[in-house]
Amino acid sequence: MEKPRPVIGPDNAFFWEGCKRRQLVFQKCKSCGHVRWPPAHVCPKCLEYDWEEIVSSGQGIIYSYVIYHFPYHPGFREELPYVVALVDLMEGPRVLTNIIECDSSALACDLPVEIVWDEEGEIPIPKFRLRKA
Amino acid sequence: MHAVGVLEAGFCRAVLITYGHSARSSDSLLKMLTSMNADEAVFGHFGAAAGYALAARRAMHEFGTGPETWKHIAISQRKWANLNPQAVTFCEPMTEEDYFNSPWVVEPFRRADNCLITDGGRAIIVTTVERARNLRHPVVSIMGMGMHNPSAEVTMATHLTGPTGAKVAGEQALRMAGITIEEIDACEIYDCFTYTVEITLQDYGFFRRGEGRDWFSEGTIAPGGRLPVNTSGGLLSEAYQMGLTPLSEAVMQLRRCCGMRQLGPETGMKKYPEIILCSDNGGILQTHACYVLRRM
Ligand SMILES: [Zn+2]
Repeated sequence: MEKPRPVIGPDNAFFWEGCKRRQLVFQKCKSCGHVRWPPAHVCPKCLEYDWEEIVSSGQGIIYSYVIYHFPYHPGFREELPYVVALVDLMEGPRVLTNIIECDSSALACDLPVEIVWDEEGEIPIPKFRLRKA
Repeated sequence: MHAVGVLEAGFCRAVLITYGHSARSSDSLLKMLTSMNADEAVFGHFGAAAGYALAARRAMHEFGTGPETWKHIAISQRKWANLNPQAVTFCEPMTEEDYFNSPWVVEPFRRADNCLITDGGRAIIVTTVERARNLRHPVVSIMGMGMHNPSAEVTMATHLTGPTGAKVAGEQALRMAGITIEEIDACEIYDCFTYTVEITLQDYGFFRRGEGRDWFSEGTIAPGGRLPVNTSGGLLSEAYQMGLTPLSEAVMQLRRCCGMRQLGPETGMKKYPEIILCSDNGGILQTHACYVLRRM
């Protein structure tokens, strides 16, 4: 069975358009400078509407991570065990993602990670790997 | 809380709160939980267990909790379930070895850290004290209640390792009740996962941040312990009936109709409980309600 694909709507279209260019794009509030995630019409800090796109460096640290040992979706059965993580990007946003290309026993909170694009599907998916010191 | 509102406003004389679900014999619960994560499904993120596991992993990093703390919660609650013939796990004791042999679901959670999935139902009637006095059962009144919802997307959340909504909701409930935490005889805590019990009791102030491991290890919450918690077995070991598992157990304990697991001389306590604190929470620790109940 296939894995779920990105559900693209008016709110998050800019993000997935960025992914197609292999760019991690976020909304930056023009009024207060807050970089927000998830996508929103209004800045959660100052409630202003205007925003501009910024491209993230793709560098961050692991806030938390878990290792799936149970196939909640048949599309991920082959991947088990796999890692889902919350990554704090340098620019501010915290994103839910996967840590790949690693031995899960090497993972820890606060370790530095960098972006790696998963090219398996139609749209490149932003995932992360441990950054070498 | 809404029930009290409509009763106080005089809109009705009694409120029936019910829950029923064939969660075990159908895949509806899993489907509901899976559909919650539309944007995250791309990354293989589904259900509630992994969200709480993310919170728990961060808590391991920040204040040193982990399976050595959670095992006490799972095992203590199972001991209560073994005294409750209605509990799904009534006939299944759990040793420390059983806990550590329980398979990973979403690491750091083992199956033994997860609540049950249960077919069943439960109901509670809320009415005025005046009306309740004319009924057959001893009156259990709501002394205090509080609600706090630090609700935000999990990716925006700053409350996963506390303070969760339990802190403010607990303070509100105790203030309304006019009591201190030392006057609580027992707790019925919403225990979707073992970590939920730890962070909730920690945020209520029963122990300081990171001191749960020692606090639980003395058999504190088990039968015969200093502060019995989840005396039916809870969601982990009795049955998953959402927030009605803890709430109904508190009412029944205060009415002294709990048989073998009855708090009091039956389970090694000097006296019967008078005040029980209950919790409920939703989302990934995003919403919280606290109730203090008393036998009148
Ligand atoms: Zn702003």
